[in-house]
Amino acid sequence: MNIKQIAKAAGVSVATVSRVMNHPETVAPKTREKIERVMKEAEYKPNWFAQGLNFNKTKTIGIVIPHMLHSSYMEIAGGVEEVARMKGYITFMCNVEKDKKMEREYISQLIMRRVDGIILMFSSLDEQHLAQIDSEKVPVVLIGENQENSKACSVKVDCRDGAGEMIAHLLEVGHRSIGFLCGSDPQQEAKEMLTGYRNILKASGLKADEDMILRTENSIEGGYISTKKLIATKLPDAIFATSDEIAYGAIDALKDSGYKVPDDVAIAGFGNNRMSNLIEPKLTTVELPFRKMGIYAARILFDLIDGESRDDKQILLRPRMRIRKSCGHKERIGEMF
Amino acid sequence: MLKTNFLGIELNNPVIVAAGPWNMDGANLHDSIAAGAGAVVTESIVSDTMIDVGPRIACDENGAQNIRLYSDIQIEGWEREMEIAKSDGGVVIGSISAHSPSELAYLASKLEKYGADAIELSVSNPMLESLEVVASHADVIYEMTKAVVSAVRIPVMVKLSQNTTNISKVAKAVKEAGGSGVSAINTVRGILGVDLEQARPMLSTYGGVSGDYIRPMALASVATIAQTVDIPISGIGGISSGRHALEFMMLGASTVQVGTAVMLQGKKVIRTIVDEMQEWMEANGEKDPQKICGRALSNLKSFDEMRYEPFVSTVIGVPCEEHCDRCVETCMYKAIAKAGKTVHVDRTNCTGCGLCTFICPAKKLSLGL
Repeated sequence: MNIKQIAKAAGVSVATVSRVMNHPETVAPKTREKIERVMKEAEYKPNWFAQGLNFNKTKTIGIVIPHMLHSSYMEIAGGVEEVARMKGYITFMCNVEKDKKMEREYISQLIMRRVDGIILMFSSLDEQHLAQIDSEKVPVVLIGENQENSKACSVKVDCRDGAGEMIAHLLEVGHRSIGFLCGSDPQQEAKEMLTGYRNILKASGLKADEDMILRTENSIEGGYISTKKLIATKLPDAIFATSDEIAYGAIDALKDSGYKVPDDVAIAGFGNNRMSNLIEPKLTTVELPFRKMGIYAARILFDLIDGESRDDKQILLRPRMRIRKSCGHKERIGEMF
Repeated sequence: MLKTNFLGIELNNPVIVAAGPWNMDGANLHDSIAAGAGAVVTESIVSDTMIDVGPRIACDENGAQNIRLYSDIQIEGWEREMEIAKSDGGVVIGSISAHSPSELAYLASKLEKYGADAIELSVSNPMLESLEVVASHADVIYEMTKAVVSAVRIPVMVKLSQNTTNISKVAKAVKEAGGSGVSAINTVRGILGVDLEQARPMLSTYGGVSGDYIRPMALASVATIAQTVDIPISGIGGISSGRHALEFMMLGASTVQVGTAVMLQGKKVIRTIVDEMQEWMEANGEKDPQKICGRALSNLKSFDEMRYEPFVSTVIGVPCEEHCDRCVETCMYKAIAKAGKTVHVDRTNCTGCGLCTFICPAKKLSLGL
């Protein structure tokens, strides 16, 4: 059967059948299901290459992920895929293991395979590299900010505000000396969080103690080691970590050193990974809307693919506080419920 | 006769079907228009859909509580739904809700592209949000409204909440940010009741209360905005009759929105409300709904402006045939007495509080000199 015969059998126009294949979201569900049933019964398979040549589109996008083992990156990817599926696209996922070289190799592979657009998650690429991809006329959307990048089409979270709000909360519940474990990536976001930390301390008339600010690898191990270093010199009232992983490591290190969380030291993380609600004590953290980050990145990417201008293609999402036991806050004022 | 203009849009009548699950998709919006609404508002569309809990709606004779969240349809699907909604004409207002200005701007620009005639920002949903609803922060509302206004060419109104200390301040922020109008009020955070035997609230979390319960608060909010900010208002809160709608309009609303009545009585209530408004207007020689707008405001004063009147209760049409002593029993000043069928008011004890005039089922009491 060809497309004309399918249209006839389903009692619709060729254009509607074509829309089911190319823009399924624009066809009423009942009509779409009927056409899909006819196509299935007739074992109709559209000619992929002909379609690609016709529209100059391959109906594929690429998504470059820093690390496969990170569940929050997978949540972001899930959001991207949901929108891609609605648009009738399939997604190539490339795992670059936080390796700059691997990231660049994958991007050129994706361009060679003629993807219609690329989403880069917490990319290590700077503006110059991005301009190179741009010259290939492949739309790119960034998720999160690893390198400073203010011009690109992007979906970011207001990390400065998120960290600031958490520091303000820790101060409000009575903590005075607050350690800051600054993860190595995403670099720019960690910087923003540090600015938020300094701003709030300053606004509260407190001076940031530079010995309390430690750089660390963004991992559980990094959190463990840096916390051991931090408490060797001085025990803070509270520790803020730029990721939940670092916070897990910090809790582990404090427990190993005989301290109780939150009684001796309060802990707050950033991200709200799935595990953060399961560990004991449950982690107080700043929730990042992972899925929504993916959804919006895909939305912007498809707008660009559809020829919309790049103006105003920057989405800034607001993080939200999740107050749990690890910060020692017993009252639930202000929490969502 | 009821034709009016709201936010620069011509409406057949001032009755708008409010955002809610009764307008969850194109087919339902289409039905609401066909049922006689002057305009319809979509259920609130969000950045990412959420799974609904159940049960999520409870009601009693005075109203409802709901914990239904937002539209089940992603923004992508609304292109199709808007087409269905508008297939026979009609005015469709897209309701959107999100936590950041850029998200709202994105959703609004898509709905404009799909054919929405206006945007309503829902910033005051009492469900799933923290105790401090966004609508209590005028600065945040300003940023959100401004972002949306600059992203679209269609009018933008903002739905305000009773859960704020100063609704007037928030309405002012909307105007300053370039918003074309406000709607007030959203549902009010509450719990409908508790099943004593089960020791269980009617619904398993705090929700939005609507219906008769909130009409007095809604009337006050609308009047307050009308008296302090020069901005078109769409009045919402417990409207289920033409008289209710006209009350909102007399206090400054140029349109009204009906939600809970549609949920509890079905879409036929839209036509009833419109007809009742029309009847009242005809009976009172009124031709233009815009001329009614704000008419009662001159009789709504601040304490400073009020005059002290030496009114006392008087008894009309004595003797009283009613088999009740409610006026006697409830008079806090011991000013009313009844001897047989004769009701007597002691003019020295009566302070003119007015309660008996509302209490009397036969309406035999009124205030006078």
